[in-house]
Amino acid sequence: MRYAILLMGAPYSSQAAHSALRFARALVGRGHRLEGVFFYHDGVHNAARLATPPQDEPHLVDGWAALAAEHGVPLQVCIAAALRRGLLDEREAARHGKQGHSIEPPFELTGLGQLVDLGLHCDRLVTFGP
Amino acid sequence: MPNEKVQGVDGDLLVILRHAPHGSSWLREGLDAALVAAAFGRRVTLLFMGEGVTALVPGQANGPLGQKGTAPTLEMLEMYDIDTLLVEAEALVRFGLAVEGLMLPARAVAAAELPALTADHSLVLTF
Amino acid sequence: MLLHILNRSPATSEVYRQALAAMGPADRLLMIEDGVQGALESLAGRFGDLQGRLYVLEEDLAARGLVPLSADSVIRVDMEGFVTLTEEAQRTVSWY
Repeated sequence: MRYAILLMGAPYSSQAAHSALRFARALVGRGHRLEGVFFYHDGVHNAARLATPPQDEPHLVDGWAALAAEHGVPLQVCIAAALRRGLLDEREAARHGKQGHSIEPPFELTGLGQLVDLGLHCDRLVTFGP
Repeated sequence: MPNEKVQGVDGDLLVILRHAPHGSSWLREGLDAALVAAAFGRRVTLLFMGEGVTALVPGQANGPLGQKGTAPTLEMLEMYDIDTLLVEAEALVRFGLAVEGLMLPARAVAAAELPALTADHSLVLTF
Repeated sequence: MLLHILNRSPATSEVYRQALAAMGPADRLLMIEDGVQGALESLAGRFGDLQGRLYVLEEDLAARGLVPLSADSVIRVDMEGFVTLTEEAQRTVSWY
């Protein structure tokens, strides 16, 4: 089946991101396709390039990136939610005259239309909230 | 495969809004998702549940720090062809509101109707 | 038949009531994260009508030391079982 995940919790602050990553790995392990992970609300913090948890704690940002690298899962971050929370990629940083950027590939800033698209084309969309 | 969903181009979406205006971004973000879905041609039903019913209290204003709030977005629903606004009847009672006094036309739904709502839409998002 | 996912404890949040109100007679409820507190003997009764349709994510119970306190009536699943539950349901609704 084709799955999508909607993640709305920031890493560390609640368990949402942990549960979502565990679920993502399990569904892929069962042979399903994860068509995309859409990060919305505080979930956009899962794309924070500079996240630096202690060595002995889970690294959610890296975890999502590894999932993308291993299984080709698109990581789509709602641009409006991200910008409000200070999460910008190079293009948006340049556009808004900001020094430095806080999001990089494989995370991609997109619009809510991508969430609607995932909902339309996937067999299951599972939401993880804080 | 059992239970694979057959998708039409405009499957019905139910957006359940469970949060009040201003106190968090949930209501705003839920409405934004609903509007985009409608703009993409999906038929969207909004269900205001629990404190979400207070989203429809008339006479709302900007927040004290200039936050826009959600009343302006709600005024736009009709333009996006979102005209099915449902409000949880028990919540209206709890908050002392009457469906006729809300800022937009809405239909009160009793608890007994809720399971049919979640069952009858092809995608349910909660905010 | 839908799968409802609850991540908040019935002892601290009313959202479980909203989940129950929205559940159809065949729908299932899976408790995850802090929601696993709902599997405690002392709290599982709040989900009384869900005989055989109430599930709990075992790894979240275990992390919290709650496995020995979990009611027998609540069906424990691992993460793969969670995925299976989502396969078996037509769709999921998350209550947080």
